[in-house]
Amino acid sequence: MTHLSVKIGTLDLRNPVMTASGTFGFGVEMASIIDLNRLGAVVVKSTSREMRLGNPTPRITETPSGLLNAIGLQNGGIDNYISEKAPFLRHFNVPIIVNLVGYSVDDYVYLAQRITAAGAADALEINISCPNVKHGCDFSVDPLLTFELIDALRKATPLPLITKLSPNVTSILPIARAAIEAGTDGLALINTLLGTAIDARKRRFKLANVTGGLSGPAIKPVALRMVWQAHQAFPDIPIVGMGGITNGIDAVEFLLAGATAVAVGTATFVNPAASLGVLDGLEAYMDEYGIDDVRELIGAVKAIDD
Amino acid sequence: MSVLHIDAQVVDNREVIKDHRVITCLAPDLAELARPGHFVNVLASEAASSILRKPFSIYHADPHTGLVAMLYQVKGPTTVGMAHKRAGDRIDLVGPLGGNVFEPDPRPGVHHVMVGGGYGVPPLVFLSKVLGQAAQTPQITFIVGARSKDRLLCQDELAEMGVNVRPSTEDGSHGVKGRVTDVLSEILADDVAVYCCGPDAMMRAVGAMCIASGVDCQVSLEAPMPCGIGVCMGCVVDTTDGIRVRACCEGPVFDARKVVWK
Repeated sequence: MTHLSVKIGTLDLRNPVMTASGTFGFGVEMASIIDLNRLGAVVVKSTSREMRLGNPTPRITETPSGLLNAIGLQNGGIDNYISEKAPFLRHFNVPIIVNLVGYSVDDYVYLAQRITAAGAADALEINISCPNVKHGCDFSVDPLLTFELIDALRKATPLPLITKLSPNVTSILPIARAAIEAGTDGLALINTLLGTAIDARKRRFKLANVTGGLSGPAIKPVALRMVWQAHQAFPDIPIVGMGGITNGIDAVEFLLAGATAVAVGTATFVNPAASLGVLDGLEAYMDEYGIDDVRELIGAVKAIDD
Repeated sequence: MSVLHIDAQVVDNREVIKDHRVITCLAPDLAELARPGHFVNVLASEAASSILRKPFSIYHADPHTGLVAMLYQVKGPTTVGMAHKRAGDRIDLVGPLGGNVFEPDPRPGVHHVMVGGGYGVPPLVFLSKVLGQAAQTPQITFIVGARSKDRLLCQDELAEMGVNVRPSTEDGSHGVKGRVTDVLSEILADDVAVYCCGPDAMMRAVGAMCIASGVDCQVSLEAPMPCGIGVCMGCVVDTTDGIRVRACCEGPVFDARKVVWK
């Protein structure tokens, strides 16, 4: 019997495959397409204190092997999440992780307390790193601010905290260390890479927001490198690895680099059942190579000459 | 919403005018569900660097034969990949997509007026066909516009369908010289319902003309739709209610009065 379950803090996942925030909505649309109960966890779209309309269009454009987006965290706000989205999600037997986004420590603490009180999630993913909103990166590029935020959240909720890091920094390690010292239960990496796209014929930017976040297979090597770096530096902290994961082999690579779990994002746009395909592919790999416990793969990558 | 992910068999793929082709696939479940205004998201790029699906409105869907057709302009990696498909090849489709499709005006004796420009014509041909199947054949006028005669789509088909075709070309090479609004302005009346699909500027002008005349106008909007199922939030449209809604789920067809044009 293959053992697929993993833990992030006190959060038990039946398998390591979850969805990436912002690529799965709030599960409502996806529930009619795939069986949510097969997933390790559902990570829903960023939720803020107030409703957000997001950025003007065009806010999405295709780039080589990738997707550049500047959605701007469009969401219905915390009241809407608790009254409408969470009750729907609770019909399923799958852990729900809410991605929180705010402008201040107070915002994040407020959101965490509301969700904790309502029992509206099993864990919180702390989005300190959205590149598409003003101030969205302030926390993620500053270890002191990161510590202050995660420390306040740690005191505000018993829910497992997963801090989502930005790749748009010189080194993720000081930020990761700050989050760990403040008591985060896990790290999620990477968020999108800041980029832009230009239409030469029109001599205009392709996005109304000018810059956007790059996702998809194009960023996989960067994501793998950062997961590996973070795992080397902090081998005891669970990492949710993401960035261009499309199939089971991609997921295995992230586990080998040091991820405890993986999230499927942009691939879901291409194939609505991509997350389940990743899970099936992971199981097929384990069968093929006689891996009984998925945890044997975590951080097991070796150097070429080892 | 019932969304299918289909590996369909291509049965035909032919050029209809320069750079425009019709691909016909065997997809019985899709043919059963498809309504005028629905679209499919196609994965057909042969270039590894192009990973996303692209949306195409449904041109024909016949539940009796199980055939579904899309009319497309060959201009990018996906449509080049589609153009290379031969009978017997497979094509990867997600659909039918669209939470709000064309809603035929139910008034008895209503005069249905299609206004199509460029490759906005195909979904309106589908709608005309469906309307034409009613017990009492309705009055349908089809205003079709293009830059020049050689770019007008679906001319023979529309003639065979027995609808009143009113072509307009910007260079005057066929039909009225001018734009679709030049033809529409002569037709607008209280008993008219307008269904429009084409370039944004055209839909905006047609919508404004209908609103000014108090005529109902449904427009089918085009937007980048990486997912088509409502989760990527890339295809949003501003509405007069002050909210941003998804073209793929709350559209692609909207009441022209509701759309805030860019």
